[in-house]
Amino acid sequence: MSFTRTPGMRLAGVSTCVPAHVVDNNSCAAVYGETEVRKVVSMAGVQYRPVADPGVTATDLCFEAAEALLRELDWAPDTLDAVVLVTQSPDYFLPSSSCLIHKWLGLSEHCAAFDVGLGCSGYPYGLSLAGSMLLTGCRRILLLQGDTPTQFVNAEDHATTLLFSDAGSATALERQADAPDSFHALCTDGSGYRGLIVPGGGFRDRNPANPRDRELYMDGGAIFNFTVKRVPEIILSSLQFAGLDQNAIDYFIFHQSNRFIMKHIAKKCGLAAERVPLILDRFGNCGGTSVPLTLTQSVPAQRQNDLRLLCVGYGVGLSWGASVLGLDPKAALLHKTYSGEVTRQ
Amino acid sequence: MISESEVLELLASAFEEPVNELRADVTKDAIPGWDSMGALALMAAFDEKLGLELTAAEFRNMQKVGDILDFLQQRGALASSAG
Repeated sequence: MSFTRTPGMRLAGVSTCVPAHVVDNNSCAAVYGETEVRKVVSMAGVQYRPVADPGVTATDLCFEAAEALLRELDWAPDTLDAVVLVTQSPDYFLPSSSCLIHKWLGLSEHCAAFDVGLGCSGYPYGLSLAGSMLLTGCRRILLLQGDTPTQFVNAEDHATTLLFSDAGSATALERQADAPDSFHALCTDGSGYRGLIVPGGGFRDRNPANPRDRELYMDGGAIFNFTVKRVPEIILSSLQFAGLDQNAIDYFIFHQSNRFIMKHIAKKCGLAAERVPLILDRFGNCGGTSVPLTLTQSVPAQRQNDLRLLCVGYGVGLSWGASVLGLDPKAALLHKTYSGEVTRQ
Repeated sequence: MISESEVLELLASAFEEPVNELRADVTKDAIPGWDSMGALALMAAFDEKLGLELTAAEFRNMQKVGDILDFLQQRGALASSAG
């Protein structure tokens, strides 16, 4: 397990953005059958799913989240040293979608911009990466994460179609000497890469003979085996690395994969249910962006005290990671619905 | 360790099937709830109650209730029936 400690990284704010169009899974009974829909709603816990309209991308959602956050924090565009976008739903194979965000936000030429191709585990990876950059000279970093899984699921596969949703996020991070240390643990098991895969359309199989190969395949059982084995391990080892007891964590912010699986993990780790927020009923599984989305939905925007969070992401790769970090009362937590009307540079 | 009747109770809960419909010779085709959701529920139950990992590949190879009982027997988790 790769452990890193980052001193002096302050979480200045988190902003999330979801599409305006919301699908009620109960309205899908005519297509998938009442029994199947009932099972997904009761087991996975997904009732409503925000779904991006055609032509709206993860980059669009992240842009609106970022624009709102920079405005709230009053961070001038030329004060950003880097914008890092974690996504597996880029606008183009090239250039990186972060370059579009760079343009739309009017960032300076001195600002680095690059994408990181990770999914459900991406938030802890992004925090770890940003922490290292702040430690080695950067002052302010915008970490974005967004995905639109609804655009690559197979419409006939109810197990994925009824589960996934879309969202974008922006997290503002800055160097501040007295910020509490943050701790990151990052792991990979590449042998499970076929567990969640869109096999066609990339350069391994540019024009797949079977159009289905341009869509997602999910081996739910294999992902379950992986999750219940690896996630409790990384939660417990992250706490140990940070020198903390689980009672020192105010919120365990899980990737919102599936309510049944999340409850199983929480129970296995002995975590109090009230400290493991669930937002699947209203937001579905939007990939790794579900971590910052859970943060803005579950942690009060107005707070009096310093909080400590443990964020954990897990899934496609197979890849998993966890971050232990502080959240001070001044850190901004914002949420908005995508409008498509925010001015772009 | 778990008894055969307790296993059948677990299966009934995981597959949403009346327990009196479950016998060793009942095939998966006769159990509507023997699907991906049922698999997760069963894997979770084995993990929680027995500390036993049932992999996705193992579950896919199972064709009838008896295969699940055999799996538990091979793992030393099934109590031998009295008498």
